[in-house]
Amino acid sequence: MRFLIIIIILMTFCNTISASGADLVLYTSQPQKQMVKVVELFNKKYPDIKVEVYRDGTTKVLNKLQAELAADSPRPDVLMIADFVAMNSLKKQGVLQPYVNAPVAGYDSVQYDAEKYFFGTKLITTGIIYNTKSGVPRPASWKDLLKPEAKNQVIMPSPLYSGAAVIHVGTLTEQPGFGWEYYEKLADNGAVAGKGNGSVREAVARGEKAYGIIIDYMAIGARKKGSPVDFVFPVEGVTSINQPIAILKTAKNVKVARSFVDFLLSREAQEQSVRQSYIPLLRGVNPPADYGDLSNLRVMSADPDVIEKKTEENKHKFAEMFGGA
Amino acid sequence: MNVSPRSGGEYLMLAAVTFYVLVICVVPLGRLFFETLFLGQGDIFSLVASLLESRTVLRAIGNTLEAGLGSALLSLTMGTTMALIIGLTDIRHKTLLVFMLLVPMLIPAQITAVSWLELAGPSSPVLAPLGYALPQGMRNPLYSREGVILLLGIEHAAMVFLAVRAGLRAIPGDLVEAARCAGASPMRIIISVILPLLHPSLIAGAALAFTASIGNFGIPALLGIPGRYLVLSTLIYQRLSSFGPAVLKDVGGLSIILALMAAAGLLVQYLAGRRSRVELVHGGKPAPPFNLGRYRLVVEAVVWLILLFISVLPLLALIETALLPALGVEFALSTITLDNFFFIFEHDASRRAFVNSTLLGLAAAGIVISVSFPFAYLVVIRKNRVAAVLNIVADAPFALPGIVLSIACIIAFIRPLPMIHYSLYNTIWIILVAYMARFLAFGLHPVLAGMAQFDRSLEEAGQVSGATSFQRLQRIIIPLVAPSAMSGGILVFMGAFNELTVSSLLWSSGNETLGVMIYNLYDEGNSTGAAAIAVLTVAVTFALAWATTYMAGSRSRGILPWQQ
Repeated sequence: MRFLIIIIILMTFCNTISASGADLVLYTSQPQKQMVKVVELFNKKYPDIKVEVYRDGTTKVLNKLQAELAADSPRPDVLMIADFVAMNSLKKQGVLQPYVNAPVAGYDSVQYDAEKYFFGTKLITTGIIYNTKSGVPRPASWKDLLKPEAKNQVIMPSPLYSGAAVIHVGTLTEQPGFGWEYYEKLADNGAVAGKGNGSVREAVARGEKAYGIIIDYMAIGARKKGSPVDFVFPVEGVTSINQPIAILKTAKNVKVARSFVDFLLSREAQEQSVRQSYIPLLRGVNPPADYGDLSNLRVMSADPDVIEKKTEENKHKFAEMFGGA
Repeated sequence: MNVSPRSGGEYLMLAAVTFYVLVICVVPLGRLFFETLFLGQGDIFSLVASLLESRTVLRAIGNTLEAGLGSALLSLTMGTTMALIIGLTDIRHKTLLVFMLLVPMLIPAQITAVSWLELAGPSSPVLAPLGYALPQGMRNPLYSREGVILLLGIEHAAMVFLAVRAGLRAIPGDLVEAARCAGASPMRIIISVILPLLHPSLIAGAALAFTASIGNFGIPALLGIPGRYLVLSTLIYQRLSSFGPAVLKDVGGLSIILALMAAAGLLVQYLAGRRSRVELVHGGKPAPPFNLGRYRLVVEAVVWLILLFISVLPLLALIETALLPALGVEFALSTITLDNFFFIFEHDASRRAFVNSTLLGLAAAGIVISVSFPFAYLVVIRKNRVAAVLNIVADAPFALPGIVLSIACIIAFIRPLPMIHYSLYNTIWIILVAYMARFLAFGLHPVLAGMAQFDRSLEEAGQVSGATSFQRLQRIIIPLVAPSAMSGGILVFMGAFNELTVSSLLWSSGNETLGVMIYNLYDEGNSTGAAAIAVLTVAVTFALAWATTYMAGSRSRGILPWQQ
């Protein structure tokens, strides 16, 4: 009996310090392994703020948030997801609050919301990963994924899971010379959809697929650690997202939430994201050396309003062609 | 047999046990059925009709049946063959063989799935250095219907093995002897004497494997979701995790369909079990084993090769993956790194998962065993009828698929509890409550078995000396059944420590379990991290199994399934 009481007390104790005791709840799509380091660095500056991180694919995080909003009990204080289009619609939905005095000096004004509702934290591009052991030719263009040597060898993230994929599909289908025809040809060539970008990295690093469509840091990070992969910025250009962060209107402690935003826009955090193989957004912080020369990098873009309007339709079309996530 | 009149203490015990079973087991499952079928808009028929209209639902039902039946057939073949070889022949090292055969049962489904995925892919750390891995550019073949069926079949073969072995032991040796004297060959004896007598055990074993397979979540989640092979348990999980409590009624309907399928399996098992008891009530001495003669070496080689594949190589692949610096790197001594293990200790959620699962396991074991003493006392020694009925009810949360139990718990506990106005949903307590229901049978059965062997005159002596029922329970009975209770408690702990199906729907951030952590990391593409957690979990499980066997000695015979 005494044993039981001790266990229950211990559980209550652990429970209060771990879950409900968090000062800041963050919902994000950034991998857990990186978030550990981010929170660690944040706690060096703010040792008293206990951060709780919930991580899933952007689309899944948004589904969870919407379900919580419907039940009138949103848990997160801060949201950091891949997709600025989704952020924009959350803003319109009235879920977010502005942070007018956010430290945006040194940031290009296209990287944050004009009314300061959300702020880009790093540049993430989507290009092509390939397995260097598989003996396939190094790709140069998006169209290389339609060639016979890529038959049944291409995997890509699903917009039903990943926010970067939402933007990638939304942008690419608006480009002249691509459109949904490009995706139809990909499907005809036997391309498949995984879940998130992590699943693409897995399949290509393991050699289950030779080519993958993926966000840059995942491929470059895997290469750095010894996986037999390389990353290519296709000649037509890459698509990009900027991993925006925003404070929810319902944040329990706005001051704490703002300190987290301050931190992510700070020089230390930007330098840390370089160590995590991201391209930083703060002027004066150099991108990781293993990206090579980025001066000729072309970024494809599309009207955010068009992407937003077509997001649901695009997800359906994608699911029809490649299956649901 | 007459039982002495009831006392106040006994009523108090009965009240406590009834309260436990009602609140933890009956109310959640009852509310799932009642609220889904009778409350809210529309009647039962329109709910069923709207569910059956969806092609995804129909396909998931078909797949569930297909995977359940296919894997039950595979388990039946494997389990029976092994039971016949180990039970009837003079093959050597039987204890070790049995332990290896039962390894898949000790290892939770999500870890089985992860380790087989590591073993089978083109970058397999075990097969690639030997040159036997699949060619580059091949998708892992386990992401498919066949993969799901294969692993479910292997995972549950041990259940059939145990059922058939028990059946074999009940066959009177005289029958086999008689056939031998009549000049029948061993093959002939197996086909015309033993197998017909085993018939009920075979059916019961296969039914058990079927029920376990359709309730499994870890294997269809890790293999079937990427392979686009949805079964009911994964469909329920996907719907609820994508749409949240808004679709509770829908997933409630799906859970009831799944529960009915499991109930059908349990009914078959029960009927078959009853038949075997009628036919084989006279045990007798077992017949001497068949002499395999010069084939013994061949049979042994085949058996060891099969066991190598189902019990050793997957774990080896898992360990090697946990030591890789990155995916796709070939396994070599020079690249071994402990980074993945360090990551677990740095990662808040993983660390929390270890603490949570350990505490959940300890708390569930403590609570279940505490309630098992008065429960078993009432059932076995006091022959209380109400307790006997509760005993049957107490099996339901384990016998039914875990996903059904978790939906039931959400429905029952999502709204604040009456009186204290505190909602268990999104806290660790809802997981504990679900475990208290799920693993009650694990702890109760050993205690029941322990009390059945107990000499009632001891209790009567206590009664004559004027001890109250509480004193008798505490001073006489508990010390005597403590060893079986200890084994039961460890089974509860192992069950809870390794659990995924129930917690997959009940966890929330801050309240992760080990099973959930492995699943989430794998899902996110960090399979080396997932492998590291899995390796640690398996190490704890094996250490416990070893310690229990060592501690319990011969007293727990018949309780720990891996003991001969």
